[in-house]
Amino acid sequence: MEERLYDLIFICRPDTPEPEVDKILATLEQAATEKAGKVEKVEKWGTRKLAYRVRKNREGYYVYMVLRGTQGAMIAELERRLKVADPVIKYMTVRLDEEMKRQQKLVARRERRLARRPRKTPAPAAGEQTAAAS
Amino acid sequence: MAEERRPPSQGSGGSGGGTGRRPKRQFFRKKKVCRFCTDRVDFIDYKKADVLRQFVQDRGKLLPRRITGTCSRHQRWLSEAIKRARNIALLPFASEL
Repeated sequence: MEERLYDLIFICRPDTPEPEVDKILATLEQAATEKAGKVEKVEKWGTRKLAYRVRKNREGYYVYMVLRGTQGAMIAELERRLKVADPVIKYMTVRLDEEMKRQQKLVARRERRLARRPRKTPAPAAGEQTAAAS
Repeated sequence: MAEERRPPSQGSGGSGGGTGRRPKRQFFRKKKVCRFCTDRVDFIDYKKADVLRQFVQDRGKLLPRRITGTCSRHQRWLSEAIKRARNIALLPFASEL
């Protein structure tokens, strides 16, 4: 099965101590590796204002992770753990590999077009030169 | 559609878009260009809330394409990105005023 790419963001209550967040991260990482996935990147965005109230909080501690995995069961397990974890007030997983594939296709197409264009413009100039030479 | 097609044929150097609606063509409306196309954006990141915020109204509604000038493809990606951002509380569903 092909590899999938996910973004996972979760928000903790703003008064959560840092070690607590690290503990959640550790359990998530362990769960991911158990399900044959791996954590590619972890970013702690820190406390940010929420756009709306979530469980009566106006602020939240954001943690952003990039995951790779092959089975959907990994996400199910991670989300279950996030649901159970007490300080977590919100989480979201987004599957991104298809969009990345689309993006790469677009980039490749543009590069091909760019590669073609310079060839097109010097061509008439070269034609003129040969005409002038003859 | 027919009305829109007429002005460019009369005036030789008509501006491409936006003028078709007015009978008197005193007003030039500058043609808006998709911001994402000029920047060559292939993926609209839902995490960049400050960028996305420029494409929603103060109340948090999506701005229509005719206002922002975004092309259809990018508007589609943009709406997707904004909806994701809303889900994780980066953008409001409806901001209270």
